[in-house]
Amino acid sequence: MSDDNRVTRRTFLQYGGVTAGAAATVSLAGCGGDGGDGDGDGTPTPGDDGDGETPTDTPTDEGPSVPEDFPVRITQGNMPSGLDPHDHRETPTDVVMLHAYEGVLGRDPDGAIFENLATGYERVEPGHVRFTIREDVQFHNGDDLTPADVAYSINRMVQEDVGFASPQRDQLAGVNEAAVADDARAVDVFSDGLNPTVISSFGTYCDVMQQSWVENHTKAEIGKQMNGTGPFQLDSYTEGEEVVLARYEDYWDGPADVSQVTFTAASEAATRVNQLLGEETDVTVNVPPQEVGRVENSDVARIEAAPSTRIIYNAMRYDVEPFSSQEFRQAMNYAVDLESIVSNVLEGFGSQTGQPTLEGFVGHNSDVSPYEYDPDMAEQLVEDSGHAGVEIELHTPVGRYLKDLEIAQAVAGYVDDLENVSASVNQRDFGSLVDDLASGEITDKPPWYLIGWGEATFDGGLVITALLSTGATFSSYSNEEVDSMLEQSRNQGGDERDQTLQELNALLHDQAPWIYLNRQFSVYGASERIDWSARSDERIDAYAMSPSS
Amino acid sequence: MSLSRFLVKRALQGIFVVWGVVTVVFGLRFIAPGEPENVLLPPDVSAETRQQVVAELGLDEPLPIQYLDYMAGLPFGDMGTSLVTKTPASGRVLSKLPATLELAIAATIVAIVIAIPLGVISATRRHEPADYGATTFSLVGISTPNFWLGIMLIIVFAVQFDVFPTSRRPVGLDAVLADVAAVQLGAAAAGLQNWLYHITLPSIALGTYFTALITRLTRSGMLEELGAGYVRTARAKGLPETLVRYKHALRNTLIPIITVLGLQLGTLIGGAVITEAVFNWPGLGTLVIHSIEARDWPVVQGCIIVIGIGFVLLNILVDALYAYINPQVEYD
Repeated sequence: MSDDNRVTRRTFLQYGGVTAGAAATVSLAGCGGDGGDGDGDGTPTPGDDGDGETPTDTPTDEGPSVPEDFPVRITQGNMPSGLDPHDHRETPTDVVMLHAYEGVLGRDPDGAIFENLATGYERVEPGHVRFTIREDVQFHNGDDLTPADVAYSINRMVQEDVGFASPQRDQLAGVNEAAVADDARAVDVFSDGLNPTVISSFGTYCDVMQQSWVENHTKAEIGKQMNGTGPFQLDSYTEGEEVVLARYEDYWDGPADVSQVTFTAASEAATRVNQLLGEETDVTVNVPPQEVGRVENSDVARIEAAPSTRIIYNAMRYDVEPFSSQEFRQAMNYAVDLESIVSNVLEGFGSQTGQPTLEGFVGHNSDVSPYEYDPDMAEQLVEDSGHAGVEIELHTPVGRYLKDLEIAQAVAGYVDDLENVSASVNQRDFGSLVDDLASGEITDKPPWYLIGWGEATFDGGLVITALLSTGATFSSYSNEEVDSMLEQSRNQGGDERDQTLQELNALLHDQAPWIYLNRQFSVYGASERIDWSARSDERIDAYAMSPSS
Repeated sequence: MSLSRFLVKRALQGIFVVWGVVTVVFGLRFIAPGEPENVLLPPDVSAETRQQVVAELGLDEPLPIQYLDYMAGLPFGDMGTSLVTKTPASGRVLSKLPATLELAIAATIVAIVIAIPLGVISATRRHEPADYGATTFSLVGISTPNFWLGIMLIIVFAVQFDVFPTSRRPVGLDAVLADVAAVQLGAAAAGLQNWLYHITLPSIALGTYFTALITRLTRSGMLEELGAGYVRTARAKGLPETLVRYKHALRNTLIPIITVLGLQLGTLIGGAVITEAVFNWPGLGTLVIHSIEARDWPVVQGCIIVIGIGFVLLNILVDALYAYINPQVEYD
């Protein structure tokens, strides 16, 4: 481990959000394009870290020394459900995990992939990826990281007989098995078929655990203790109340500036904001628009916002009238003044969408614009569809997404303003709405509903497959052309796949299976005593924090 | 009937009450919308993974089997396993009990200490400024929603003037008592100070409604008693006015107050949900709400059992206290 290495990665994480916007976009657009860091097109990928994929390979000074005592407190909406990194599917748990556990790859604040516990990766052949594993990495208990630990961790997620029925099984979709390579310090990962998104998945998922530690502890102990390779190690854990992590001085990439991170939770947004303004916490999640002013007007805290990976949309079932008509679906898009919703309902904390794939994701088509607000056109299209006079009802969860009910009311209001359509809102309990959506039968779904979808792998193909392909559990749509283009993309890599997905997004804009609404923003309150920027993937990384200068 | 027989009888009745409540809640979970796995797992989880998780949590067993399993474990303190944290539900529930009890008792103490003297003053100085002040206070106190009061207290005393913290409970009274037991008196004093520092605002927010209610009860009770014949007799035989008021009139006033105190304390154990949420106080009320949202039924049931037991015990205590305060009351 060298100091250069340390400065490189820390600077990379800290300033990525500020300076790497353009670089990351290029990098993402090039995912699979030049084989740089994307989802793999068969070409070998960089073998060492910090090799030009970021702005941080410019010479940097050593900077200030690591502060002795710089504790930071982070308040989320919920506490982690436990400390087993493979036994949860919640963001608040994930945020805690990423401080103690790491994957073979990681993502910068804008979603670009970098090597973490791997020093390189390559597609050996279709369905076979090899990760070269970093040397000189120690777990918190002092033992060395081995390729066997990495292989075991992957298998613990994907094979029930190795570990347990991990709810993260399909985060590594397509992966069957991992094994230590015979002739190198590497791990081979085997998948069904080409699996073009495997690198993307490893960029976001699969925390590495120590095989012997897992095998020597019960499941209950693993849920209350931590032993990873990350920059922080567990100091104390009070279930449901507090997790305290201390700086791991021997971290392979250099110790963090933050000496201690304490995670607590407060479910009420006003309580979190009060804690922030009372200088009792340093970062709070989900500051609602109505509380933003209080934070911005204070001397002790500021707002940090970033576009998240979540898209909010109104699905319209293709198999029931009036939504079976493309004209009618397009009319719904023209009827809604999305710009006004973003500026007035969301107070600017959102951006407009016009396709299922968000900007910065693989497959995003930058030539596709959101639908214009044109109520006259909408009324004409409703007439053309033959459904004039119809009454429709929008099902929406309440309090699940930022301003979900208000967005739904605005949408229904705009549609109701059309002279030839009546619309109303049906507020639903989130659990019961998901029961309807998850049943696997399209007929159980409401004909028209608001829902959000986060895709932390930054891959548009996965979004479309899950939500718009024929027969998928959460799909509200079916179209042969869409299915065939998706199938085509599954057998492609790199630029070719990106191009196919871009065409598919243009097609889906025209076919309008959804009312395209907003990209949700993550809005945080941050103390002025810390230097930190929000990330796109809802993760809060204390390793990237430092005292504000 | 002797006191011990009375207590045994009431305890047996209480067991049936708790059993009935648990059974109803157990039944309700199957008609409540939202399957646990659909709330626990994000929507993008495959059907296969969903099924594996359902099996892992034991939710695929038939309903009667799940019920019998649950009931078989209950007498031994086994409330099942939390679907969210995969840890014993009893541990999760009991770990929240001290915080809830502390807040409920602190709010009750605030109420008793303020309300009874205020009510007595108000009654004995009827139609004087002190009475108008006390009745105005109690009217405002009863009319103020405690979430609003909580937020106002935080904004004024925590954010603006920084006299108290905004929220949280970093130290529990249980930890303070442990320090006392270990003769770590310095640590215990510091812990107690920290505890008082954190519990002051929430107990005022929660206790204000309660204070106002008891003030009104005390005032009206005292007025009634002070007009009673035995008070006239006591005064006629020359008893000092303080003895008349506090030994005779107030004592009789206490019976309805104790009833209300007991029932209110039970309600507070059941969850000062809003106050707990505003002050981020890690008690049972917050746990119940979070567990219902997460469809974590074993924890919901555990909380309800504890709350049910709390209600039963308080009712027994209140009944026992009646006889202590008024020997004319008999157990039956």
